[in-house]
Amino acid sequence: MREDILNLKNEAIARIMDVILLAEIDELKISYLGRNGKVNSLTKELKNLKTEERGEVGISINEAKHAIESALNQKKNEIINRESLKKTWFDASVPGIEYKIGHLHPTSIVINDMFKIFHHLGFSMYEGPEIETDEFNFGKLNLPKDHPARSLQDALYIQEPDYVLRTHTSSVEARALSDIKPPFRIVVAGKCYREEKANASNNAMFYQFQGFALQQGLSMADLKGTLFYFVKKFFGEKRHIRFRCKYYPEVEPGAGLDLDCQFCKMKGCSVCKGRGWIEMLGSGMIHPIILKNAGYNPREISGFAFGMGLDRIVMDRFGISDIRSLYNGDIKY
Amino acid sequence: MRFPINWLKEYVSLPDKLSVLTDRLTMAGHMLDKIDEVNENRILDLELRGNRADCYSIRGIAREISAIFDKQLKELPLYQDTKLTHALKDFTINAESQFVKRVMAIRIKDVKITPSPPEIRRRLEEYGIPALNNIVDLTNYVMLETGQPMHAFDSEKLGKFLKVRLAKVGEEITTFQDMNIKLISDDLVWADEKSVLSVAGAVGGKYHSISDMTTHVLLEAASYNQANIRRTVHRHYLLTDAGIRHEKELDSNLVEEGIKRFLYLLKKYNWGSIDGGIFDYYPKPVKPRTLILNFNYLTSLSGLIIEKDAVLKILKRLYFNIISVNDNEIEVQIPTFRTDVEGQEDVIEEILRILSYDEISTKTLALEIPENITPDFIKQENDIKNSLTSLGFDEIISLPFVNPELQKYNLLLSDKASPITIENRPSPEIEEMRMTILPSLISYVTKIKNERGESARIFEVGKIYYQKNSKYIENRALGIAYWNKKNNDFRKFKGYLEAFLKLMQITEMQYSSADNSGLAKSFNIRVKKAVIGIGGMLQDTYFTEIYLDKLLDNAAVIPVALWPNFPPQIEDLTLIIPTKTEIGKVIAAIQSTHDQLTEVRLMDIFGDSYTFRISYQSPNRTLTDSEVDKIRKEIFRILRTKYGVTIKEN
Repeated sequence: MREDILNLKNEAIARIMDVILLAEIDELKISYLGRNGKVNSLTKELKNLKTEERGEVGISINEAKHAIESALNQKKNEIINRESLKKTWFDASVPGIEYKIGHLHPTSIVINDMFKIFHHLGFSMYEGPEIETDEFNFGKLNLPKDHPARSLQDALYIQEPDYVLRTHTSSVEARALSDIKPPFRIVVAGKCYREEKANASNNAMFYQFQGFALQQGLSMADLKGTLFYFVKKFFGEKRHIRFRCKYYPEVEPGAGLDLDCQFCKMKGCSVCKGRGWIEMLGSGMIHPIILKNAGYNPREISGFAFGMGLDRIVMDRFGISDIRSLYNGDIKY
Repeated sequence: MRFPINWLKEYVSLPDKLSVLTDRLTMAGHMLDKIDEVNENRILDLELRGNRADCYSIRGIAREISAIFDKQLKELPLYQDTKLTHALKDFTINAESQFVKRVMAIRIKDVKITPSPPEIRRRLEEYGIPALNNIVDLTNYVMLETGQPMHAFDSEKLGKFLKVRLAKVGEEITTFQDMNIKLISDDLVWADEKSVLSVAGAVGGKYHSISDMTTHVLLEAASYNQANIRRTVHRHYLLTDAGIRHEKELDSNLVEEGIKRFLYLLKKYNWGSIDGGIFDYYPKPVKPRTLILNFNYLTSLSGLIIEKDAVLKILKRLYFNIISVNDNEIEVQIPTFRTDVEGQEDVIEEILRILSYDEISTKTLALEIPENITPDFIKQENDIKNSLTSLGFDEIISLPFVNPELQKYNLLLSDKASPITIENRPSPEIEEMRMTILPSLISYVTKIKNERGESARIFEVGKIYYQKNSKYIENRALGIAYWNKKNNDFRKFKGYLEAFLKLMQITEMQYSSADNSGLAKSFNIRVKKAVIGIGGMLQDTYFTEIYLDKLLDNAAVIPVALWPNFPPQIEDLTLIIPTKTEIGKVIAAIQSTHDQLTEVRLMDIFGDSYTFRISYQSPNRTLTDSEVDKIRKEIFRILRTKYGVTIKEN
């Protein structure tokens, strides 16, 4: 008998849990608690029990009845609540109250992305002064005066001929080579300057991204591996890369890296000047004269260096066609 | 430089497919710029590098092709039967400057001046030099072919005593293109007793050049100090075909080849007769240099193992002479035309580029990872950018120069310093460097206002520059600007500043009114008494500038607070505060009355009435009304005696 009561209660509560419509609640109420309901039919069986058992079983039946009742009520309220929420008119398409979001400058975004990639390769970030001496901007970098690769018109001078605004971030390489103990791997992103009347593709200020490493055992293969890893991570795994011999006075051997032109799919267009390739960066093994200038023996320790202009990359990524708009307040956030 | 395909074919056989040729040339360091067609002949335009003076010639690139594709290079026929002499008939030539490395000259008599034959005219046209007459055209033709510039004078217009010397102050020359050049004492010239004949290595004078009347010619070819010629051609904008070759490191031994090639062709065309021997001034003849290539170094620098035999083959293809070989190294003699090959690393590059850089493997830094040495300030700048963007400020980056109309603001925030200026400014707006970020921010805010913006919240992390005690100084700074069309309230702006500094973990800062000239509502921000920033209002925009190096050392970790166990008693007090009282000090006075005063917040200002919400709280128990009463009375007492504050009666 006691088992029957428990079974009945469990069965009722399980059925109540499954209810979706209000009408079902009423049906279940009649079926379990009604005059001819299942609980009452158990009560009727009380008389078949021994007198001493009747009291205890009666209490159990009562408890089961209350439990079923309260489950029914709870479910009923739940359904009513749900129904009423459905009926309240609510317009989710109304615009939110504007919350002003701040934006990083596109150049900062690109620098951050590049830093992240090089961070994984064990590179530290670094910086150096923008006002540079002729020595660190040119002299220590194997660019003596009257060197064919040193354009006379290029630099912005604050005091000719000794102080310039740095014309490239290679000056930071010269500083690091004289200040930091190897091994090191460093990337630098920063402002550079040149004597230039502004137009859509040239500006007196531009950004460069530079990297260099100094460590025993570094080779051209490390340089190529590092650059390919970066290029594929940053520009996409499917890009075509051309790694070729190119002359830069700061390196020997020197290498240039080109990427397939995305505008014409390498067919040749005005962007790539019909070449199908875009020149992306310059690189090479740090020139032995630079190492010697910094007090190292090129046969004992080697290094590589690479550098690229950032603005073109930023402009391509954000669809900006005029370099001036990057740094003159034209960007509307 | 432009290379007509047909001309190249005279010296070396080319691959059938043009793209195979141009791809390999590009990989080997001579990037194809473009291909075009003149006279139905295809012309390669290659981007040459400044260290390969030998490649500024048809023969130079033919030699490269022969090395890359392992093809025979055909000999250049030269005039053979002329002796070298140290004196010319009727002329003396004196090199009076150490910048002259070699001079060769020869007299040619009974010259027939005619137009050039079509094969020469066509070649010059394909390259892009206009044809003039046979003698001048031949000097150009031979220059393109061999890379050696040369110059022909009408010898009857010359004096007898020729000098190659530095120009004297006041000397001038009119070029054959009617350009007048005022020379300076660093310019090397050819001159006779009366006048300057030509600017050495760059351009000839108008009055001594070949004309239709010319019958006798003095031809010269020379080699000069590259740096001196470079200064001259850039100084006077003389980037002529001769100039762009002489400003690079040309081989002095090429002079002889150039002259002899000229004489060979002169004789072939029968344009004149050679009169005597070739004058040669060559005080320090250039000998081939010898280098040692170590195999281990080749392997470690290239990251590529190359067989010894392969190395030897490549060096031979490059016309390098192998002097000796052993297990460890090669002694190799570099031909003098390779003025760029100076060290072992250059030889390694030669081997790699002939082999192709495609052969180099891609290794991703298998070596030990070095210590991270990123300085703190880089993280700081990154944190600043993240904090301010999270507060709704947009980052700007600007050129650190001050527009002329904003230069009056450049002086505002600096004392006893003066601006740095650019000596060779390309335009007026790139002259004076900013001593404060303020001018950059002003122009951006103005732009936002002009574009009908409702508000401006911008910042820049950048450098400021000035000179002081004849030193150039650059400092890192942060500039913030705030403007709101409707609700341009200082407290709004300051709220952002406070939130920002809190995000930067700066806790103990004080703001005090200051006298930063030119700014309204000007203030200083101090941390531990040191001024770390300044601010104020200009036009209707709020600015602040924070000096980042000063900020860097003051960051502290702000401890986490937990909700107290016992509730506070909270009440609003409205006080009447006399005008010109610093509210910051009033709040500090309230706060310091009792340590059970946990929070004092300004809720409202109405005229001279200030409402503060004050929380009284003990960590150990709930405070009773009488305890709070006592503290409140103490507050009133202090404020009354110190600031003359009265209580608002309701």
